[in-house]
Amino acid sequence: MRTRNTTLALAGLLVAAATTGCGGAVTTASNAKADGTYAQIAALPKDQQVAKAKELAQKEGRTLSLYTSMTADIATPIAQAFEKQYGIHVSVFRGNSETVLQRALQEAQAGKPGADTVETNFLEMTALSDNNLLADFNGSSLDKVEAAGKFAHWTASRLNVFQPAWNTDLIKPADEPHSWEDLALPKYKGKLTLEVSDSDWFENVTKYWLDQGKSQAEVDKLWKAIVANSKVSKGHTTMMQFLSAGQSPMEAMNYTYITDRAAEKGAPVTHLPQGGVSKIPAFARPNGVGMIKNAQHPAGAWLFYNWLLTDGQKELVKLGLTPSTKVPGDKSLNGLTLVPFDVKGLSKDDGSWDKKYDALLRGAATTGS
Amino acid sequence: MTLAPTSTTARDDGPEARPGRTPQPAEDRRAHRLLRLLRRPLSLQGLLVGGAVVVVGYLAIVPLGYLIHDTFLSADGSGLSFNAFARAYGGNSQSGEMMLNSLWFALGSAALALVLGTALAYVQVRTDTPFKGLFFAASLVPLIVPGILYATSWIFLGDPSSGLLNSLVFKPLFGTSPINIYSVWGMIWVQGLHLAPVAFLLMVAAFRAMDPSLEESAAMSGANRLTVLRRVTVPLLRPAMISAALLMFVQSLESFEVPGLLGLQNGIYVFTSRIYFVLRAYPIDYGAAGAYAIGLLVIAAVGVLVSSWLQRSSRNFQTVTGKAFRPRPVELGRARPFVGAGVILYFLLTVVLPVAVLVYASLLKYYAAPTRKTLSQMSLANYRAVFDMPLAFTALKNSLIVGVGAATAVMLLTAIVSWVVLRTRAPGRRLLDLLAFTPIVIPGLVLGLALSFVYLRMSLPIYGTLLILLVSYCTRYLPYGMRYSSSAMAQMSPELEESAAVSGASWFQTFRRVLLPLMSGGILAGWVYILVVSFRELSSTILLYSPGKEVLSVLIWEQFENGQFTTLAALGVCMVVLLVVLVSIAYRLGARFGLQSDSAN
Repeated sequence: MRTRNTTLALAGLLVAAATTGCGGAVTTASNAKADGTYAQIAALPKDQQVAKAKELAQKEGRTLSLYTSMTADIATPIAQAFEKQYGIHVSVFRGNSETVLQRALQEAQAGKPGADTVETNFLEMTALSDNNLLADFNGSSLDKVEAAGKFAHWTASRLNVFQPAWNTDLIKPADEPHSWEDLALPKYKGKLTLEVSDSDWFENVTKYWLDQGKSQAEVDKLWKAIVANSKVSKGHTTMMQFLSAGQSPMEAMNYTYITDRAAEKGAPVTHLPQGGVSKIPAFARPNGVGMIKNAQHPAGAWLFYNWLLTDGQKELVKLGLTPSTKVPGDKSLNGLTLVPFDVKGLSKDDGSWDKKYDALLRGAATTGS
Repeated sequence: MTLAPTSTTARDDGPEARPGRTPQPAEDRRAHRLLRLLRRPLSLQGLLVGGAVVVVGYLAIVPLGYLIHDTFLSADGSGLSFNAFARAYGGNSQSGEMMLNSLWFALGSAALALVLGTALAYVQVRTDTPFKGLFFAASLVPLIVPGILYATSWIFLGDPSSGLLNSLVFKPLFGTSPINIYSVWGMIWVQGLHLAPVAFLLMVAAFRAMDPSLEESAAMSGANRLTVLRRVTVPLLRPAMISAALLMFVQSLESFEVPGLLGLQNGIYVFTSRIYFVLRAYPIDYGAAGAYAIGLLVIAAVGVLVSSWLQRSSRNFQTVTGKAFRPRPVELGRARPFVGAGVILYFLLTVVLPVAVLVYASLLKYYAAPTRKTLSQMSLANYRAVFDMPLAFTALKNSLIVGVGAATAVMLLTAIVSWVVLRTRAPGRRLLDLLAFTPIVIPGLVLGLALSFVYLRMSLPIYGTLLILLVSYCTRYLPYGMRYSSSAMAQMSPELEESAAVSGASWFQTFRRVLLPLMSGGILAGWVYILVVSFRELSSTILLYSPGKEVLSVLIWEQFENGQFTTLAALGVCMVVLLVVLVSIAYRLGARFGLQSDSAN
């Protein structure tokens, strides 16, 4: 008798458990009206768009979901600044750029996007755009962005600039590198660190050398020498910690904003030689923002996109990043020799540069392109 | 000879058998027969056992099915294709070298962990070593420290040029810097230390459940302590050691942090580095990742078959029988101070050093080798930052909920399923055992993808809540639970269940009042293990968590990605302290319900 009651109770519990969730779910559902909202805002004259978006965002519930690959110490202040200005709560999902892409793709394929807006790196934004996940923006804030920063369905909001970085306690001014070719010099043997996923830097430098007139064989030789000088590591910010600690004297490439932020905290690191001017070609990779089609909060997404290209740019400068527009007081590009980033070469890439770079690092490379 | 499956039908006499009853009409008889057929599955035993088997099967099949689907499906979506294997293993992928590196790394670290864990467990349970309480909690610390932190602190200790061990100890004393943590030996050392608590927990449970009368008879027949150890104790532990070795071998094959942080520097590539590469690239090559995972699966399946073949004569290892026993601790006598010193040395090397590096790092603004300047700049700012983090308490709460939930669910499920595998003659039980083991080889990232794929398309509100994390952790830790439960179950002789049945107990009563308490050592060990590692679980969590449903491992990962090693160290130290307290409480409580065996415990 007792066991029968226990059985029935258990069965009842199982059924109950199977039909209830565990607390409020983050809503992932499709919003077919989103396109209508985007179109509605886009159709207005430019000076009325912000006001309309604000009005619609109020009706949407004053909340927004952002998927980004900015590190938390940057994403949190950005989200807070936007919230302060518009009173819209930003719920941030943070991950690697690959994770952000995978999650957005998975959700879109299931027809249940969880993000309203995405802010991540060039390759991933291109992938999202190619998969038709992004809605078009035509606000007036686009005017301030240079042509190189405007893309099919997204816009660059910040730039990651490629330069070597070194520890000033371990690398004396006489030993500083003055070109990418210098990294192949024997004097740097055992002193360099390469990051395991920097295939975009690999492609840009290769193309730059080929455009300068070097032959493929010469380029291959240079790369082999650079790899022979180096250890491989993972994660630009982690690498900067090790550089600051003196664990590694020099990095073949790190983003200038990471170097600058570490230097500001007092670490003995820099990317500029003693004179303050670097002749090493600085490739500026765009990272950008996009609005998701069928988003739950399209007006909020529009506002965020617009804000990131205007007032948001000032916030980025405050955090030490390089904005995609000209912001007074921005010192991040001082002393750098900017060179255009090979957008064309990398947007039609199908992963072949990733594989070439990986094979190069493993020592399994055959010949170049 | 096993009785259990038939115990409920023993009382299921039809109306015809009872004397003095008039035979009933045909339709009634058919109805009765139907009812009788249904009664077994609808009994408590049927529901529990059937339910557990179905749940375990479901948990294991979802990611496996997803993986197989993606690996064998051809690029244009029609029909079977083996291209994924060609992409994964062919071309310039250097797969032979990678496989050798992986096997070498996995074997070495499993062996080291097994030796260390068994020795520690023996000292803890069977001798009268001093400092037992400290011993136990401290043995678990390498398990609690997240992999990235543990590996990073060993980098700071063992870097050939600037590591603390080389610069502060070896260079001044001997003039050389022999320690290079970036070699395969370095990787084996760090991973072995990191895994030793797994073996330790398993072997402690095994030792506690061991009847010492065999050892006592050997001693009485004239064997000295070493002979007893070699010819009686160790052979009796074979099932537990094999289970532990299998688990650690496969876990090392699948581990990413240690080979990633230590091996990459010198170009030592393993399986998981390749899996990470293909999953990180865009467009994502799920097929190649699946091909690697299936390779791992084949190796793991071979391991499971070998281990069950080695355990075939299981009767010889059953030490928990109907007779009462009380293990007597071996008196160390004159060896006591040496063993005590050995214990302290072990802890200095494996626990104190890495944790000290963490504590040191947590007091700095940015990491630098200890000099007067850095020592003067130490402050508690990082701890303040941790407590100020808005997500810290939410993450802690979520981690606790999901961790405790997953540990409890897995141990209950696997206790029942290990009974099915070991105590019944049900067809397909070996398949069930293998199935329950497969989640261990599924890379965390693939598990995350599989689960998000399935639950995004289900109308139940699971995606985006804590439930999906619970499902993910249950899937991931199922194999560990199975190993702990089945080695505990293997140690028990069926005569105990038989006597319970003969005394009139139902299946559920036997399970609840005889089996579970006797297995409690193993179950508690498994529960603690799952709770602790669930705090660290990252690879699938990263894809499945949603804002507001963060867990501690996500917070730790964010700090790591931020390059905030110092805040990360502070977070790690807090986590270690918290988990050590939790584990101690769990063991205090658990000791009430299990075998009273350890003296001075």
